[in-house]
Amino acid sequence: MTGHLRITVTCILTLALMSTFTLSGGAQQPGPGQKVGIMPPGGPAPRAVDGKPDLTGMWWPNRTGIPHVENTGADVDRAALRQFDPAVTPEAPPMFLPDAAAKMKAMTATQREAAKGSVNCVPRGLPAIWLSNTYAVQFAQTPGLLVQLIEVLNNFRVIRTDGRPHPKYPDPLFHGNPSAKWEGDTLVIDSIGFDPSTFVSNNGSWFHSDELRVIERLSRPSRNYLQVQITVEDPKVLARPWTSALRTWTLVDGQDVKEFYCTNNPDLEEFQKLIEAGK
Amino acid sequence: MKLHIPSFVILTLVSLLSLSAAAQQDGPPYTVKPLPPGGPAPRLANGKPDFSGHWLPNGAGQGVSGRFGVDPAARGTFDPKVTPELPPAFLPGAAAKIKSMTEVERELARSSVNCMPRGLPAIWLQNPYSTVIVHTPLMMAQLFEVLNNWRLIHLDGRPVPKNPEPWFHGTSNPRWDGDTLVVESFGFDERTYVSANGWFHSEDLKVTERYSRPSMNYLIVEITVDDPKVLERPWKSAPRRWTLGNGEVYEFYCTNNKEVEELEKLKDQEAGK
Amino acid sequence: MTTRTLRAIAAVSALVVLMAAPSFAHHSFATEFDGSKCRDFTGTLTKIEWANPHGFFYMDIKDPDGKVNNWSFQTYALITLRRAGTSRELFLDNIGKEVWVRGCIARNGREHYAAAGSLKFASDGILRQMGQLQD
Repeated sequence: MTGHLRITVTCILTLALMSTFTLSGGAQQPGPGQKVGIMPPGGPAPRAVDGKPDLTGMWWPNRTGIPHVENTGADVDRAALRQFDPAVTPEAPPMFLPDAAAKMKAMTATQREAAKGSVNCVPRGLPAIWLSNTYAVQFAQTPGLLVQLIEVLNNFRVIRTDGRPHPKYPDPLFHGNPSAKWEGDTLVIDSIGFDPSTFVSNNGSWFHSDELRVIERLSRPSRNYLQVQITVEDPKVLARPWTSALRTWTLVDGQDVKEFYCTNNPDLEEFQKLIEAGK
Repeated sequence: MKLHIPSFVILTLVSLLSLSAAAQQDGPPYTVKPLPPGGPAPRLANGKPDFSGHWLPNGAGQGVSGRFGVDPAARGTFDPKVTPELPPAFLPGAAAKIKSMTEVERELARSSVNCMPRGLPAIWLQNPYSTVIVHTPLMMAQLFEVLNNWRLIHLDGRPVPKNPEPWFHGTSNPRWDGDTLVVESFGFDERTYVSANGWFHSEDLKVTERYSRPSMNYLIVEITVDDPKVLERPWKSAPRRWTLGNGEVYEFYCTNNKEVEELEKLKDQEAGK
Repeated sequence: MTTRTLRAIAAVSALVVLMAAPSFAHHSFATEFDGSKCRDFTGTLTKIEWANPHGFFYMDIKDPDGKVNNWSFQTYALITLRRAGTSRELFLDNIGKEVWVRGCIARNGREHYAAAGSLKFASDGILRQMGQLQD
């Protein structure tokens, strides 16, 4: 079986599984033509034993609460496919320093493509895991600990929520070195020390320096919503810090985060050939 | 097929014995020692044992590789003298297939070399790095330090698909047997190995894990491998003991793997290319 | 040589053998490297490549003819080094400084490339284990 055929078959099987296994209270996969809008808030958020909002759950990166709803043939409200409404909470573009902007402009389209995590299978890392991720994440929360299971590439993060300070000599990591604490009902995760090979967003050009600092603000305003706001500081790349809109992820009931390993990737080889040919 | 015991294992055991004898004479020179049991195991809200923790595959509750002063008693996950582990009994066809692999081919098939996910059950049998477990009444998340991979086992009684896709960690069907969590898994990706040295598996592989936490600092994992197309009879591991670590789990992505290239060159050289 | 020294050497060799206990050997040294071609290297640390599955460090080493070559040495996985108390910071602090390392060269004949066993930075003289030079 070729790679692409295999992936296609996998997708079909996944969809078949999704549509046949509907659990009590679980997300219904809509049929063709069925109308799908923004998922309702769903009442108050559950609380953990320590009284903090419980972020535990499987979260989908748009406001439908239905994984891969675009592939079901349903009549989906365009607004529901977005994480925020730019008319209400506009998101300003990042302001790059002249050198950084020039470096980005110098990249060819093929180079940019080969640098994308979705193409080269290098972990997206933080904050791209929030800004450029079309697959699910799952949280498991216990007092003092938040664990994030990231569907794409089957990666995880372990976040201690006890406010412990950053390490003195942080290793460069894909998800950085977090220092996290609750501010009221919002979990604030402040991370430094990032692997140089990641991009801030998955467009393959917004690179970062060793001074990248990412602040995540996570909250669960209601049962079905997870809100994520990202601030990116990088004094060697950005003229001023960039803050995302309040982006909404929605709860997926009764389904599973799936295994997604990148073990069959012919894309990169093809792009490398193109890059070589262009030299 | 019986696996013969390599001479280095015997050497290791001999030096292990002589070293502990010497240690008894001179007083313990060890700075890394076995972790004591540490009081009763925590319980979940539903009364079942809570397996949450940061677990290391040794008896020390901390790193033991690359260090001096480690008590040999703190190194392994079981004592073969107390709970011996039998070698797997391969069917003749499987044994012949394993034997036909060259040393370099076997090496290239190891996940520690080729950076493919270990998968189940190798993640418990062949993994020198730590595992974090987050356990609630409804789920058990396992975070494997090596390759930064996770596995999620739902404990909410949701139905298990009959014909699942082949996953590296299979599809899990858990149940409680008293204070032991029994997880039966099937439906595995064909590319994983049960353990290093060429022990491959068929599509009929079934893995049973038995988890228990006899005390605060100990997690016991016992693995049964059933594979009627490869094994004459199911193979059962010793009850292997993980010990509680300090919670520091590191990022381990395989992003700079030069080993495959070097071994491929060696393979070509050996084949006279 | 005193009895104490002999005992220390015996203990260290036994430990080195113990480090090769099969449940901890995550990959086979002997397949990739030649245990009969090991030697001591002294040189200057030039750079590190701190990524998994193995870290690499580079050293400028003078060969017997006086020619300087840049060698690369493979280490344990970074977690293993860190749990044993060897941090990336320690290596960064020793760039440009003298290092002694015991290493064995690759079977496939790749030049100026070896697996690292034990190592000492001239700056602190502490013996550290970087990898195992046997199965």
